[in-house]
Amino acid sequence: MSKETMTTSNPGTETEDDDSLASPTPGSEAVEESSPSRSSGSERTVIESRNLDVYYGTEQALQSVDIQIPERQVTAMIGPSGCGKSTFLRCINRMNDLIDAARVEGDLLFQNKNVYDDDVDPVALRRRIGMVFQQPNPFPKSIYDNVAYGLRLQNKTENLDEKVEEALKGAALWDEVSHQLDESGLELSGGQQQRLCIARAIAVDPEVILMDEPASALDPVATSQIEDLIDELAQDYTVVIVTHNMQQAARISDKTAVFLTGGELVEFDDTQKIFENPEHQRVEDYITGKFG
Amino acid sequence: MPRKDYQTQLTDLRENVLYMSEVVMERLRMGLDALEQKDDELAWEVIEGDEEVNQLYLDLEGECIDLLALQQPVASDLRMIAASFKIITDLERIGDLATNLGEYSLDADQDVFPEVDIQELGSLTLDMIEDAMVAYDEESADGCYEIADRDDDLDALCERASEIVVRDLIETELENNTEQEVETLLQDVSRLLLTVRDLERIGDHAVNIAARTLYMVENDDELIY
Repeated sequence: MSKETMTTSNPGTETEDDDSLASPTPGSEAVEESSPSRSSGSERTVIESRNLDVYYGTEQALQSVDIQIPERQVTAMIGPSGCGKSTFLRCINRMNDLIDAARVEGDLLFQNKNVYDDDVDPVALRRRIGMVFQQPNPFPKSIYDNVAYGLRLQNKTENLDEKVEEALKGAALWDEVSHQLDESGLELSGGQQQRLCIARAIAVDPEVILMDEPASALDPVATSQIEDLIDELAQDYTVVIVTHNMQQAARISDKTAVFLTGGELVEFDDTQKIFENPEHQRVEDYITGKFG
Repeated sequence: MPRKDYQTQLTDLRENVLYMSEVVMERLRMGLDALEQKDDELAWEVIEGDEEVNQLYLDLEGECIDLLALQQPVASDLRMIAASFKIITDLERIGDLATNLGEYSLDADQDVFPEVDIQELGSLTLDMIEDAMVAYDEESADGCYEIADRDDDLDALCERASEIVVRDLIETELENNTEQEVETLLQDVSRLLLTVRDLERIGDHAVNIAARTLYMVENDDELIY
């Protein structure tokens, strides 16, 4: 996997309209991004799967998953190891394309467009759906260049300093690194590196941020900072987070999806409902530690 | 702490709440007996025994806090702990009210208003507590609703008893009594009205226990206030 595919921004796609998922058209003009207006508390669905099946070779990883993920809320995916939650996350921005044996059936809609349609460019898709991973993965570049990376690839270098500063502030990192922007991102602490990766992701202004256990490698203080940040990010972005930490899901998410063994989405509801009075006994057994 | 121990802790909490309810009900029975028999020794036993009830409350409160802090319970486990946390408060208050009965017994020096059957009211409240705790133990939603219904009957009986006392007092001719006799009568009437009020409140606590149990069993807050 290249470094580029590990981030929100990806090279070679700087000429497309940001709201388009279509494959790039040679010779088209670069279009400055135009953020749609965003209202807080929206229940509008931004991601929807219908009868989604995923196979790795002959093994089925997801079974007929139907889910509607609301805009600008935090949706948590929980479940035991191997239940398919990360597989689902990686379907959203087609990261599973990078796995040869992976096969996807059914529909996965982003803004009502099936991301697996032939005319969808996965690179363009990933620019609108960023991703943050379990292990912080800053590039071996300066803090500044890490954040500016995607913007430069998209030829969005106008007011670059301001954009870098805005992204670092958005990731709650600016105050800690504003005096050392030329230093390597690898010199930062684990928690700071993770926030740098979040800054890199939001610098190109995606609509969705996928997080695959973003705090599991961090200490409690850094975890708390990331959780606070996720809450703030949900003001502007749709956040989908996979976590093994159920208390973390309970703390930070608006909606929770519970996957259980066999890639089955058993229950999806308001987080409060899931953790206070789930509908399904299997979910109750899982979250109370009687199963799994 | 291993999750296996967590399940044991939940079982222990439930059993300890039931044990506390047994202790409190015994104190209430003793308080009623002390009133009926004018038994000062028994009354003192109830009064001094309140310390044990208070300690049980503090121990169980600690168990609930430990479970919340260390195990981060959710769903039915969370509801059981939250309900138990509230129920032990009601049990502790019932213990205090049983102590009041002991104190009334010590102060009473004559029978007044035999037509007010304190023992009957006491028996009804005891039954309500006992049945509320059975509902808690057996996770019975139906039992919870039944307790709430019975409280209306208890309230009506208590109101009727208070009316009898007040009416009789109004109609009593006190001209031939000494000042001391009048003073004693007023104190006894006052104690009797307080006894009726305390028994009515014990019924309310039994309903609280049923309400929290219903929340525990069905996540239903219908009976809470």
